[in-house]
Amino acid sequence: MAAASFHIELDQQGRPHIRLLGQWSLRSLENDFAALKTSLAPYFSDPFTSWDLQQVEQLDTAAAAVLWAGWGAKIDNRISLTDEQREIFDMLGRLDISIRVRKQPDLIGPVANLGKMAFEFMAHLRDFIQLLGLLFMEILYVLRRPREFPLREFSANIYKSGVTALPISALLGFMIGIALGYLMSKQLRAFGADIFIVNILGLGIIRELGPMLMAVLVAGRSGSAMTAQIGVMRVTEEIDALTTMGISRILRVVLPKVLGLTFVAPFLVLWTSAWSLLGGAMSANIELGISFHFFFEYLPTVVQPVNLTLSLIKGLLFGFVVTLIACHFGLRVKPNTESLSMSTTSSVVTAITAVILIDAQFAILTRGIGI
Amino acid sequence: MSTPASDRDNIVCEARQVWTVFDDNVVHENLNLQVRAGQIVALVGGSGSGKTTLLRHIVGLTVPTRGEIFLFGENLNEVDRLKQQRLMNRLGMLFQQGALFSALSVYDNIAFPLRELKQFDEETICRLVMHKLSLVELEPKHGLLLPAQLSGGMIKRVGLARALALEPELLVLDEPTAGLDPDRSKKFIELIKQLKHTLGLTVLFVTHDLDTLAQMADRVAVLADKRIVADCALSELGTIDHPFVNNFFHDISARMERAQ
Repeated sequence: MAAASFHIELDQQGRPHIRLLGQWSLRSLENDFAALKTSLAPYFSDPFTSWDLQQVEQLDTAAAAVLWAGWGAKIDNRISLTDEQREIFDMLGRLDISIRVRKQPDLIGPVANLGKMAFEFMAHLRDFIQLLGLLFMEILYVLRRPREFPLREFSANIYKSGVTALPISALLGFMIGIALGYLMSKQLRAFGADIFIVNILGLGIIRELGPMLMAVLVAGRSGSAMTAQIGVMRVTEEIDALTTMGISRILRVVLPKVLGLTFVAPFLVLWTSAWSLLGGAMSANIELGISFHFFFEYLPTVVQPVNLTLSLIKGLLFGFVVTLIACHFGLRVKPNTESLSMSTTSSVVTAITAVILIDAQFAILTRGIGI
Repeated sequence: MSTPASDRDNIVCEARQVWTVFDDNVVHENLNLQVRAGQIVALVGGSGSGKTTLLRHIVGLTVPTRGEIFLFGENLNEVDRLKQQRLMNRLGMLFQQGALFSALSVYDNIAFPLRELKQFDEETICRLVMHKLSLVELEPKHGLLLPAQLSGGMIKRVGLARALALEPELLVLDEPTAGLDPDRSKKFIELIKQLKHTLGLTVLFVTHDLDTLAQMADRVAVLADKRIVADCALSELGTIDHPFVNNFFHDISARMERAQ
């Protein structure tokens, strides 16, 4: 098999006559049609060039399409072809390529996109409220018929998003506690206010950092997993299979996730806060010489117990919001990979944003309590 | 035994003394297979006999434990990366579920291998994509659809169009008619046979469906007892003495008679 090549001769009037030789097809591995097109470009535009393809060993549609484009999408009498080749070019000429032509610069595109985004947001909001309503109805249904409660899924979710999260949340909490405690100690010692480390760490971790840390961790760890799982269940039509068995998707898929994580979230908050405080106490011990015994005995006297209640309520709320957002995005996944990755990302980003917004709102509403 | 040189050149793909071992499970034991240019070869065998595994070896997705696979006379696992890529471009594979890129439209799916070559401008690519669509009897407007919007038969067609995008010499099909109704599967077989004729393809396929086999194959390779026990024309299967082949031939000849 010879690679595609061409031979140029000049006739008596000095007009080029080009003979194409060899395999003009993708099968010949040495062919590079981009290079061939570039080297033939001056002749393509020259109306006096004549072409001879009769000695070409094999012409496939790819090569033919390159030549056809070069000749300006027409065959005239300057080009000599075999009947077989003429058929290929005729076939190419008959193809409808209008599908690509419709591309035009879009001036109002950005404005239209803005509008689309607004509509999209409204659609999300509507779906979210709808999901909330459906969930509420399912809870009412389960209250009337407790036997229908998906206990196995509920406990599986507690294990998956709660129990298995214990090591990582402990490690994270402990590390952040150490870092915070260390930095605070440095500052407080400069003012000789060593003892206030207990107040600052106690209030900061129990009221704010613990729930927040838990929410971010759960959103990244369990929220993304839930969105991906529900998404894939949609892609593989498992969700539809459930419906055809007369089983409510909300009851069997969404409810156990929401209840499971909401149930386990306060415990995770306690766990994370405890490890953070331990880390902080360790820093205080090393940097300021405050003993563990003193730290934990003094803690309840400076941090009112109501702060712990607030923290647990926040935990419940965050767990609920993160799961509900995860399920919402999971149920909107369309059956393709792009949509799956986009939904998972949106789920985590939206969940964390929502948690922070709610946290800010919460801080304002409870500003008179426990401080 | 020496093979004449001209015959050697004709071999599109070849498995030579292939062994495949998964943990303790021997799938292929000293297996030999040759596919010659212009043939439509069916690879058949019982469930779990290693048909798909062999197919995956041939297209280079997996490497046999021992033995060699030759594609167009070259050992895929011994050539450098660029050469490997170009060799792979000479074969087109149609996966059982289509394996279309779900994030891309039908048009972009077919254009993908063409764009990867980096030899064509967009207008040429468009013309080639439209040509492939017309080859598999789809309309230009179908190019705008996403794989999720296609029916099972259309997914197979688009998969075929994508496999044909680079005008390959060897077309490898994994269960080409699985999941199609008898009418559609018959049309799909007609389409492949017609394409084989117009494009001068060599076709290697795996199937469970005896109707597909009877309508499409002109040669059958039977995989049983971890090796190829028969490699001959359909009608010659009766001459081979092997329990699986005998059983199989009995089923298939009944169908061939009914078809005639």
